[in-house]
Amino acid sequence: MRLAVKFKKGVPVRFVSHLDVQRLFHRAFRRAKLPLAYSQGFNPHPLVSFAAALSVGMTSDGEYLDVILTEGMTPEEFRSRLDPVLPEGVEIVSVMDLGESKKSLTSAMRTASYTANVLFDADVSQEAVSSAITGLLSGEIVVMKKTKGGIKPTDIRPMVIELDLVSLAERNAVFKLKGVLSAEGGLNPDMLLAELYKKLGVSGASEVNRDEIEMDIDSLLA
Amino acid sequence: MDKALLGSILKTVEKPSRYTGGELNMRVKELTAPDGKKLFRFALCFPDVYEIGMSHLGSRIVYNVLNEREDTYCERAFAPWFDMENAMRENDIPSYSLETLTPLGEFDIIGFSLLYEMCYTNILTLLDLAGIPLFSRDRGEEYPLIIAGGPCVCNPEPVADIMDALVFGDGEEVMNEFMDVYSACRAEKLTKRETLLRLAQIKGVYIPAFYSPEYDENGNFKELVKTEASAPDRIERRIVKDLDKAVYTGKLIVPYMSIVHDRVALEIFRGCTRGCRFCQAGFIYRPVREREMGTVIKQADDSLDCTGYDEISLFSLSSGDYSHIHELVPLILDRYEKDRVSVSLPSLRIDSFLKDDLEKIQKVRKTGLTFAPEAGTQRLRDVINKGVSEEDLLRSVHDAFVAGWHGVKLYFMIGLPTETDEDVLGIAELARKVSREFYSMPKELRGKGLRCTVSASTFVPKPFTPFQWEPQISTEEVLRRQALLRNALKGIRGVEFSCHYSETSRLEAAFARGDRRLNPVLVSAFKAGAKLDSWDEHFNKLAWEHAFVENGLTVEQFANRRIGIDEPLAWNRMDALVSPDYLVKEHEKAYEAVTTRDCRKGCNGCFGARCREICGKKDGAV
Ligand code: SF4
Repeated sequence: MRLAVKFKKGVPVRFVSHLDVQRLFHRAFRRAKLPLAYSQGFNPHPLVSFAAALSVGMTSDGEYLDVILTEGMTPEEFRSRLDPVLPEGVEIVSVMDLGESKKSLTSAMRTASYTANVLFDADVSQEAVSSAITGLLSGEIVVMKKTKGGIKPTDIRPMVIELDLVSLAERNAVFKLKGVLSAEGGLNPDMLLAELYKKLGVSGASEVNRDEIEMDIDSLLA
Repeated sequence: MDKALLGSILKTVEKPSRYTGGELNMRVKELTAPDGKKLFRFALCFPDVYEIGMSHLGSRIVYNVLNEREDTYCERAFAPWFDMENAMRENDIPSYSLETLTPLGEFDIIGFSLLYEMCYTNILTLLDLAGIPLFSRDRGEEYPLIIAGGPCVCNPEPVADIMDALVFGDGEEVMNEFMDVYSACRAEKLTKRETLLRLAQIKGVYIPAFYSPEYDENGNFKELVKTEASAPDRIERRIVKDLDKAVYTGKLIVPYMSIVHDRVALEIFRGCTRGCRFCQAGFIYRPVREREMGTVIKQADDSLDCTGYDEISLFSLSSGDYSHIHELVPLILDRYEKDRVSVSLPSLRIDSFLKDDLEKIQKVRKTGLTFAPEAGTQRLRDVINKGVSEEDLLRSVHDAFVAGWHGVKLYFMIGLPTETDEDVLGIAELARKVSREFYSMPKELRGKGLRCTVSASTFVPKPFTPFQWEPQISTEEVLRRQALLRNALKGIRGVEFSCHYSETSRLEAAFARGDRRLNPVLVSAFKAGAKLDSWDEHFNKLAWEHAFVENGLTVEQFANRRIGIDEPLAWNRMDALVSPDYLVKEHEKAYEAVTTRDCRKGCNGCFGARCREICGKKDGAV
């Protein structure tokens, strides 16, 4: 059977890389003695896949993975076995039965929203930030981006759905961001923020949380 | 500790999970006990990066031993990589513990694990980042007690001016005694000096400040004069007699990042009976003490349960020598097969492990196979007492090839005492025979292509071995012999040579056998920028050269000098239990190319008059 797991990646584990998060779950599943299905072949590995990678340093309220088990069990039972063996900072939000679906979670991803807490290194006004956002979103946003063909100028504007200033107090700003996230890639919030800093002529340090990945669950179950 | 600042720094460094702590099974304790007493805070430091330090079994054991105590909270710290150290210095972040992010300066005791000489500058990095003076004489009552343990304590002199105390031998028992005495001293509000005087009474504890070095007119070490009447004449190495009763690792911490030994390590026995004459571990962990199979299995169950690891490694100096190895391996394989746990056996000796077992290991995991003949000719193998014949080797590789292996690694040493060019060329001969063995097999029986790696390290003379008096050969000579070998290996089918000249092996030799004058050298090198010296690609040659010059000393005088058999040794105050006469005798036998039997087959009397007491063997029997 196949289960989808939604989990939180909190502050204690925000520096754990994507690869290490995968290993963290493999080990947790083993500690929980869950009946994992393994791949065939020379070097069998458990059939666990992750919807999206999260940048090192970011926290998240909703990451997704799916896992294939050799025995049936209810999502509740799965959860009750996994909860107690997870390290601090990793938390299960929900578990869902994917039935017979073979579609990857990645294929169901649509958008992701983020909250960024930014500390600027200089004073900025509300008006300046607002007009910088308007300016930024009004045209192409060309950044140097790593692609398969090397580092190339890329317009990330089509990836951006929303960029809003929520609050500004002294040098502390809170932004909400929303961007495309799909199998082909997604918006890198830090990259967008860096462009904003440039427009403002300041630099900033950010702490970003992925609030939600919007998933088209129906497309999985269809 | 400013967590926000630390967080922003961690975004900029490589492998940030080296520096965060918070791993599964990390110990968390209240700093104040229910009775209102403050816990003693112990920072267990491994002076190298996280992924190396977390792979060290001994430190894992000591971490557990100390944390089992209700009056102590033991936390961990590791050396920062270059990028992190720079960031810490720029932002005034002191070296800190991973458990509670507490600056090291706030601990009661800082204990270093000394596993290899080339980690010594990292001790200084950790102390310096914490704002702690490097020399013990400059540290007043306000500073933590700085101590160390581990195999390098065999010759503690090169760090004697830095450490307040050193602990010699197995840590399981002595660390508890140490903490008991320390706790009593704190209760009585004793000064640091008074505390050290008390600690000196514990068997196995060395207080360098109570011994003062003297040198002769030629600038060689003469003696360590006792300056404190109550300090012991000799510091006896501690041994834990019964490993089944000893505290083990407890709940193993599971790192997030991958570390060098990323698996459950089960120590099946301590010590080695072989007596290879170059091998320090072979002498300083004697006698052999085995764990019962039941204990090993129980530790395996517990460790797998609390970690989720899928690999076990049976750890010892020579796994094949474990009395029940042929029962244990299949037992473990069967027990965990359904859980897909694989087993690896490092330090397998080629003569102790044969066909059947090869097949069993292969069933689970086909990793590379390593053989360590160490020397190229029978004569030299007899000199070093490596009881391995060419036939043994060829038979074992044959079995391995039949079992489907096609990658083997052969380990050798260059510069062993009495080595001639013929011995060096012998290495190539042996490799040629291995290659022939492979290619003479019918194609359908063997793998596609042979991948045989010959690697040659440089011999480093170590204290408490029969070769402790021997010089290391000069750099020019090392390079000449390497070139000779490289040339001779050319054109042998399927054989690759892996060897690079490493400046560090000469320094290692100097620090292994050096005396107290190396302390200022170490500090000079550190100040000139030496750090993480065991990472060859970052080795700062200039800093070290400068450091020796600045202190009017040379590497050669420590690394490349033959020490007379009757000369005093810098580590004379340490008693590793193996008798000095035994080492002299073994040294003589080496020069006669006479081997000494494996002492499982009969006692060789290595502890002299103390054989019965230490090993249960009859006194000095040969
Ligand atoms: S006393 Fe004898 S049996 Fe024991 S370690 Fe020494 S040589 Fe081996």
